[in-house]
Amino acid sequence: MSVHDVLRIENLGHSYGKFKVIEDISLSIGKGEMSALIGPNGAGKTTFYNAISGKFPPTKGKVLLNGKDITGLPSHRVVDKGMCRSFQITNIFAELTVAENIFSPLIIQQNKHFKLYGDIFKDQQITEKAMETLQQVGLSDRADQIVANLAYGDKRLVEMAIVLARDPSVVLLDEPTAGMNPEETENMISLIKKLAKNSGTTFFITEHDMKVVFSLAEKIYVLHQGHLLAQGKPEEIRANEQVQEAYLGRKVHA
Amino acid sequence: MMQGQQRRNLLGPALLTVLLLIAPLMIPIYWTMILSEILIMGLMAISFNLLLGYTGLLSFGQGAFFGLGAYSAALMLQGGYENLFLILFVGMLVAMLAALAVGIFSVQLDEIFFAMITLGFGMLFFSVAHNWRTVTGGSDGLPVFSLPSLNFFGSQLTFYAPVNMYYLIFVLVFIGCSLLWLIVHSPFGLILKALRENKQRVSFVGGNVKILRIAAFAISGAFTGLAGVLFCLFNNMATPEFMHWSFSAKPVIMSVIGGTSVFLGPLFGAAIFFVLEQIIIQFTENWMLFLGIVLVFIVLFFPEGVFGTLRNKFFKQGSK
Repeated sequence: MSVHDVLRIENLGHSYGKFKVIEDISLSIGKGEMSALIGPNGAGKTTFYNAISGKFPPTKGKVLLNGKDITGLPSHRVVDKGMCRSFQITNIFAELTVAENIFSPLIIQQNKHFKLYGDIFKDQQITEKAMETLQQVGLSDRADQIVANLAYGDKRLVEMAIVLARDPSVVLLDEPTAGMNPEETENMISLIKKLAKNSGTTFFITEHDMKVVFSLAEKIYVLHQGHLLAQGKPEEIRANEQVQEAYLGRKVHA
Repeated sequence: MMQGQQRRNLLGPALLTVLLLIAPLMIPIYWTMILSEILIMGLMAISFNLLLGYTGLLSFGQGAFFGLGAYSAALMLQGGYENLFLILFVGMLVAMLAALAVGIFSVQLDEIFFAMITLGFGMLFFSVAHNWRTVTGGSDGLPVFSLPSLNFFGSQLTFYAPVNMYYLIFVLVFIGCSLLWLIVHSPFGLILKALRENKQRVSFVGGNVKILRIAAFAISGAFTGLAGVLFCLFNNMATPEFMHWSFSAKPVIMSVIGGTSVFLGPLFGAAIFFVLEQIIIQFTENWMLFLGIVLVFIVLFFPEGVFGTLRNKFFKQGSK
């Protein structure tokens, strides 16, 4: 494991009582790497994400972000340390404007969340950074719209902007294209590619859609029944028989 | 380019301020006193709405902080401390510290559970005020015999005349509401709205939900305490009824009547509440029956409160 690892997971496990949802997962992700976590439904992808992002502490193992131990920290502390995530079900501030959605992370990042006076719209440190973030995801012309009134694909983009606003070193995206139509999916893929190229941010995504995974990821981790079944480059994963079996199981034996 | 979600139109509030300033010159003393009560309860309701409308927390224990403000003022006046500013400061501080303590235990809960735990704390404070006779006077309450006066450019202002009392209340409610207005439009205020919309998201952009909510609860408690101090001065009395859960329901009803999505909505709710009461008690003693009917009517036909629904109907508005 190299010193350049941004995110390192050691023997991570999580169980509910006796039921082990995920077990003994170790992996390390290098800076700027685009990796994906795949696996059939119920493989434990979301549990894995929740356990490393602070939704709940893992019952076993360690999470290291930029060399610092962040195991079991609550979500807001994980964000402070530089890892931010999206959710499978769009997680945004529905009745606020697009701009206000992006202000929230910036206010907290700049430690202004206990500032009891002053107009945010006149705070250049915040508005400029917000505008920049909105330009990145292509929403700058919608800054004043209420998020609830946006199309589904745009709502996902708002969440993306919320996640990116604080310039996290690691971005976790939980099924970024879930529920999108083919055109929106295309847009999201090219957006993620563009962001990864321009910002050097490390993306770690889970995805259902194999097309998305193979067109994005440089490295793929396969989760099966809570265990890491395989890891490697896309072509290696494609050729891996165990993976094929895990996914297509019955068909292979039929 | 980005702009505030609502153009901060201050024309309405400015007009209202002028009207309130000249009102005592044009209405009978009796109605000036009703108006005093409206302002005090309006401040309480706006403070309460910092929690309901902005943070998304339904507190059913605001009476406790109102009562603590009132008792602080009564105890100080009985003890001979007649400095107005000191009384205001201590009343707000006591209420804020109590809110801080209640908040620490309550804010991890949501919705009905939050309402219930704050209700529980409210009942606890009520019982103390009701039973601790030696300090609070028990169910008789604490009477106040002398009011603070104010040295105003050399002349001594007293507040025994209802009109003088009205202006004292007006000035302090104005200051209180202005401070709350600043707060809801501040960065902290935006984070509160974000909490109302989605507390999980706040936590996942780095916000400590618990601390933020405690801060909101304490601020709300402090201004509710201010309203309590004013009511004690106005009423010449602090009674345990202020802490009863039925009193805590008042800001809830007023906010729902007026509209929780508009800053001044709860104040309008308070006005509607008192004016209706005045009109109805001329005809019947069962004014609660009619209040109930009005409440049902408003919830059905003005889902965002009278003020909120009318505003949405006549002005295209941005976010709440």
